[in-house]
Amino acid sequence: MGGRRILGMPRFILIGILCLFVLLLIVGFLVGPLGSSMVGELGLPAWLSLPHPEFHLPAETAFHIFGFPVANSIIGAWITMVALICFSCVITRRIKLVPGRLQSAFEALLGWLYDLCRRVAGEANGRRFFPIVATIFLFVAFNAWLSLIPGFGSIFITNAEGEHVHLLRGANTDINMPLALALISFVFVEYFGLKSLGLRYLGKFLNVGQFFDSIKQMVKGHLKAGLGGLLTGLIHIFVGLLEALSELVRVVSFTFRLFGNMTAGEILLLIAAFLIPWVFALPFYGLELLVGFVQALIFGGLTLVFLTLAVAHHGEEAT
Amino acid sequence: MSRWTAALRLVGVGFFIGSSIVLGVVAGLWLDDRLNTSPTLGIVGLFLGILVAFYGVYRMLMPLTKNKKNGESG
Repeated sequence: MGGRRILGMPRFILIGILCLFVLLLIVGFLVGPLGSSMVGELGLPAWLSLPHPEFHLPAETAFHIFGFPVANSIIGAWITMVALICFSCVITRRIKLVPGRLQSAFEALLGWLYDLCRRVAGEANGRRFFPIVATIFLFVAFNAWLSLIPGFGSIFITNAEGEHVHLLRGANTDINMPLALALISFVFVEYFGLKSLGLRYLGKFLNVGQFFDSIKQMVKGHLKAGLGGLLTGLIHIFVGLLEALSELVRVVSFTFRLFGNMTAGEILLLIAAFLIPWVFALPFYGLELLVGFVQALIFGGLTLVFLTLAVAHHGEEAT
Repeated sequence: MSRWTAALRLVGVGFFIGSSIVLGVVAGLWLDDRLNTSPTLGIVGLFLGILVAFYGVYRMLMPLTKNKKNGESG
């Protein structure tokens, strides 16, 4: 009987861990604000419960470098960059034909992303778009997961103004970072659109061809056909305006989707850990791991879709 | 069109509608505040936002319906 193993460990250890979890959950419930408002104060030691969480929507300034304020979210972004660069250096330095564990994990991830790019954008365009999409995906995903490391938000520092602020913060929870990423994605979409279609790409936004054609027709004397064409021309100009506006809205929707999801997740974890301390926040951590991945996929994937739309000729977007 | 493309397009729709309407209203109200034309431009912004939302959704979803008519291709 003693040899039975569940999840790779003997059964009694697993049961012990489960019992510990349930015990921690009960203790957490009793000391947390949720439990104590139901059962009443039990006089348990104060260090068991957490202080009331405070969330500052704008990032706080941690310190100054040469007079420039350095926000705590930018430190999170720097850590993500350094980690990604180190990772890729370590992996690509020793590429083997028979990959090790780390190499095969990254090969699987990048292979999957590359496959996605090729399937959405086609063979040639997929190759061109892959670096942008993969960079955005890796940055957003790593940044989201970085802020889930326990203790990440628990390091405090006293800044020049004498405030007690967090040293680190996930960059995605500061609206400037999603905005910057959205602008990068926007610039690349316009760049590739202009590069592959030339000035015809701008015709999508400034659709005046029909308008001037009909004026030409009216000058020539075809009044009836010219008037009908004039109306269509005006509608074309208006649709071009809508197209330009929707391009602008896209940047805003990219920004707020990432910012909103990441900030909401951060607040959810804070509140969950405050209401019932200790183990109650654990399922939410799992949820946030998934949310980070999904948001990275959406940000990268939508960039890919819009890149594909931008390089497609007018009228063949369905392919 | 692959299933991935369709899925990614659909994912973008919801936030697009919200952002375009909110952006239109906010821009309209801001202009109202500046030009003292309250509430005209706010309402114009709202309707322009709704128009952009509908147009964007139409552009995002039309290729998907075309795909269905031609039969599933991937």
